[in-house]
Amino acid sequence: MTAGPPPLPATPPPRTMSHAFFRSIFRVLPLLLVLSPVNSSSCTMGNKTTEIRVKYENILSHDIEELVNMSAEYRDRCCKNKRHEHNKVFFCNDTQEIGSLQSMACNMLRFFNKQKINKEFRRKAALVSCGTLQVLQCKCERHKKEKVCTQVNAPNNEDTETVEQPKKKCNQEFCELKENISSLRSCWNKFEKIISR
Amino acid sequence: MLRMTRMSTVLSIFILFLHTTFGESGCTSADGDGTFGDDEPDNFDIDCFSQLEFKDSYSSLTCNFTELPPHNTNYTLAVCTKEDSSYLCFNMEKQEDVYFLQFTDILSNKDICVEYEIKRRACRSLIVTDIVKPEVPFDINITYQKEANEYLIHYSTPHSRKKYLKDKLIHQIAYRQEESTWKTIKSPYLQVKLLGKNLEADALYEVKVRSQPNGDYFKGIWSEWSTSKSFRTTGEHSMESYSSMFVIILSIPGFILSVVMIVLILTFWESRIKPVVWPNLPDHKITLERLCKRPKNNFDISFNPESFGYVFIHEVDGIQAKAEQENFLQPPPTPETDIPPKFRSGSDLKRSPARIDKNSLNLSVSYGGIWPAEALHGLFGCSQSTAADVCSSGTYEVCHSSRVPLCDNGFHLPSAPPLDPPGQPGPQPQNGNVVPPNSELKSPSDEEAYVTMSSFYKNQ
Repeated sequence: MTAGPPPLPATPPPRTMSHAFFRSIFRVLPLLLVLSPVNSSSCTMGNKTTEIRVKYENILSHDIEELVNMSAEYRDRCCKNKRHEHNKVFFCNDTQEIGSLQSMACNMLRFFNKQKINKEFRRKAALVSCGTLQVLQCKCERHKKEKVCTQVNAPNNEDTETVEQPKKKCNQEFCELKENISSLRSCWNKFEKIISR
Repeated sequence: MLRMTRMSTVLSIFILFLHTTFGESGCTSADGDGTFGDDEPDNFDIDCFSQLEFKDSYSSLTCNFTELPPHNTNYTLAVCTKEDSSYLCFNMEKQEDVYFLQFTDILSNKDICVEYEIKRRACRSLIVTDIVKPEVPFDINITYQKEANEYLIHYSTPHSRKKYLKDKLIHQIAYRQEESTWKTIKSPYLQVKLLGKNLEADALYEVKVRSQPNGDYFKGIWSEWSTSKSFRTTGEHSMESYSSMFVIILSIPGFILSVVMIVLILTFWESRIKPVVWPNLPDHKITLERLCKRPKNNFDISFNPESFGYVFIHEVDGIQAKAEQENFLQPPPTPETDIPPKFRSGSDLKRSPARIDKNSLNLSVSYGGIWPAEALHGLFGCSQSTAADVCSSGTYEVCHSSRVPLCDNGFHLPSAPPLDPPGQPGPQPQNGNVVPPNSELKSPSDEEAYVTMSSFYKNQ
């Protein structure tokens, strides 16, 4: 009596098939992390220093200067007397100026919707942030840039409201924004000197 | 089971690939914005210009069609910006024949799109900073600066108070004189100067200004011309022209005069000017002739004995000088004659061999008398070693004074010539050999005989 081919296994039950299907799908899921577009906050204008410099010198530097002058007009004594411990401190790290500018600009965008701050002032600050991100071709997490900059740069978005009087109440958010503006300005000056060499 | 697994794997990879390719765009249109604008070529042209800081922080974009498509449809112009994963478009507002839009972002690159049908769009890239049209200059002022004779034209631009185009404009100033052709000047500054000499005097001029980006970063087109400003030049230009004519009229005779002077100087330089300016060294003969009286005629000065042929020369043995006291007490018996005293120093002398009376050497000798030997030796340069006859011990007798013969032809001399003052003996020669006059006897005259340097030169 000779041995015949091994018998074919019986058809697996449908429940098992579905499990196999999903398992195969799930194996592919890690590929999503690799092939999906990268939603990182990296900037893409790192090598084009000449273009960054001319845009900064001719346009963005004037906007920053105007914003600094505006912040000087809206003086708040709270900002001079005490320093808020919860304020986020930004450093302009050496060889990482673009990343530092990106962090500062993205952080400034969150003040756009702070109602305690003068509307024109926070609008100008948002314009500077959007301009910085535009020049450096950077993005922010959670699509913060798209949300704010689209609204800020929307055409025919005239400010029909009257200019609000500066808040006399101690405004921590205003102080934070002022400090953020100062850090952004200093970091831009540092970066501009580096790329002008 | 295995087959299904493989199929599911392949399907999931395919789906993932499609998602990666089209997922970020959000749509599947060729333009990426849901329209099919590239299906037909865009056969229309649009001209656009931007105005920075048109109103506060807003800039504006103004466009118009230069060539319309053939089919008459409603068109819509939109400005689109690609923001990361989105493509935002904003429709422009139609104002008569132009389309207008104001915005804040001038950093990002934009597209100008024409929508003429449903989901039909044609886009072109647009760089806002390259099509800048500045605002019109204003407030033109013309000031005349009298001292410099210049017209200072000053104007203003709204961009001086703004951020982007401040000090980044170039201005063109056009001026003309009453319906004549325009002349232009370019300047990056807010003022220019017109020279008065280049303008007509007492004439009416018109000035206007426009601006353009200088091209360093911002580029664009000229702004509109400003409103013209007129001014009238002063009439002092005519005075200046008259003064210039006056100067020219005076300069011509002056030039002619200078030429004449130069010719005269060159002509008379050697003959008249140079002797006065650079006189030659005086000739002694001429100098002495000027100092001394020159005999009028027949004056013959010579040491040549033959010249004195008419002079009686006789030998004198010794010095017959007398004391002054004797002469004073015994005045000379002979009458006085007009013999000038200057002959004491240098009168005509004739040498004749004579003996010296040494005892009388210390006494002075009167004219017509005897000179001391030492004096005469010194006069002729004689020394003890000289063996010439001239220097032999002897006396010399003056026989001629003021052309008055003091020595008689008869070998006698007057005893006392009246030349000397009282006290001085006159000549009293005792012996003397008289040189007979030669054939060249000359009659004595009243003219004085004197020695000139030329005579010395001739005798030597």
